[in-house]
Amino acid sequence: MPRIPTSEMTLGPFFPREFAQGANDLTIAADGAPAGAVRGEVIEITGRVVQADGAPLDNLVLEIWQANAEGRYDDPAFFGWGRAATDANGVYRFRTIRPGAPAGRAPHVNFVILFSGLMRHLQTVMFFEDAENGADPVLNAVQPPERRRLLVAKKRNGTFTFDIRLRGEGETPFFGD
Amino acid sequence: MIEIPPRDPLTQPQGVEEGYAHTRMRWPAEPLQKRPHTVSELSGPLLSPHALARRIAPVRGGTQDPSGSKRTDPSRGDLAGHGERRAIGQLIHLRTRIVDEDGTPVPGTVVELWHCNAAGKYIHPNDQSTSPADPNFYGAARLVADENGLIELRTIKPAAYAVPDTGGWWRPPHVHISVWGRVWLSRLVTQMFFPGEPLNEYDYILNAVRDPQARSRGIARLAPTGGGPADALVFEHEIVVRGRKAAPSL
Repeated sequence: MPRIPTSEMTLGPFFPREFAQGANDLTIAADGAPAGAVRGEVIEITGRVVQADGAPLDNLVLEIWQANAEGRYDDPAFFGWGRAATDANGVYRFRTIRPGAPAGRAPHVNFVILFSGLMRHLQTVMFFEDAENGADPVLNAVQPPERRRLLVAKKRNGTFTFDIRLRGEGETPFFGD
Repeated sequence: MIEIPPRDPLTQPQGVEEGYAHTRMRWPAEPLQKRPHTVSELSGPLLSPHALARRIAPVRGGTQDPSGSKRTDPSRGDLAGHGERRAIGQLIHLRTRIVDEDGTPVPGTVVELWHCNAAGKYIHPNDQSTSPADPNFYGAARLVADENGLIELRTIKPAAYAVPDTGGWWRPPHVHISVWGRVWLSRLVTQMFFPGEPLNEYDYILNAVRDPQARSRGIARLAPTGGGPADALVFEHEIVVRGRKAAPSL
């Protein structure tokens, strides 16, 4: 029988710290997979999350979902999912494999943002500044086009920086789905 | 293939709520963007329920027995404890079934639950409330739904508590629930409420849902007391994650 989706509600301020511990390293092979099963370039993704007045947000939860180095989502060795919580400076960190380009898409990492004051979670997507992003249908869906650059992470050494502003000047584009 | 129909604005909160000041600082001012759904948004972690349980479930109150030494059924959790280690409060069993928009159970999905103790205090270090902690209560469990989409949690009923600096907003007793769902876009975070609580009528979070029927679906049902365990009240609850089978293309 058809059902109506459950109403979403805020994560609140007290998401147990234990739920995020150890979940921000996606390079750990899935259980049972041989050592070295996760192939690809190891990268770090980091950034700072702020609210409308520029204040950094502590204990905000970010989750990511991404393809493996070949752009595939069906790799039993690569979990592809991670979670991080921000520190008191609003900074989060993931260690992962640089994703390949899935069919018809530029390489990207999906983000979910959960926090108190967000009545439901926010969805956004990170792209890589040194990749070919021009034909990505999700990036090209962002309007007006000037805002697309806000989804492209800056590269320095092996680290990509993707800052997120929930509201206000330079607000990160979020997807409604 | 799965499809994700758009959210219904009457059954989902819309972002900024007058009574909840943080929403004005945190919900985006710009309209949310529309995008096509590709394999990226319509896929999710592929592991079997047992592999998921091994990888992400070993937190206290989750798949371990009360001594913390051996794994038990990943779909059942216990936060209440036993004997001298029993948490203070009204013993309850939550029976929550996870289904999709077709009403089909979602076996193997990860379900995380957390709630405050019987004095209204969370285990979290950021909880500045002066209510006492309960040394026998750890308020977080991570479970994996069984083949019928069911999870069961033995715990104690959480208390109502005042939200600081809000001029009298009290949260009714509630349990936070996070469900991964079938695919990335079916991720769900919600709260479960208890029937007959007078504060339900005034809560800014529950009442951000405009449709009264949707609000009532967020309130658990007390199961008949004759058939359950002798020492606990049983509450039943259904959670619907987004997604339904896509119609075959013509």
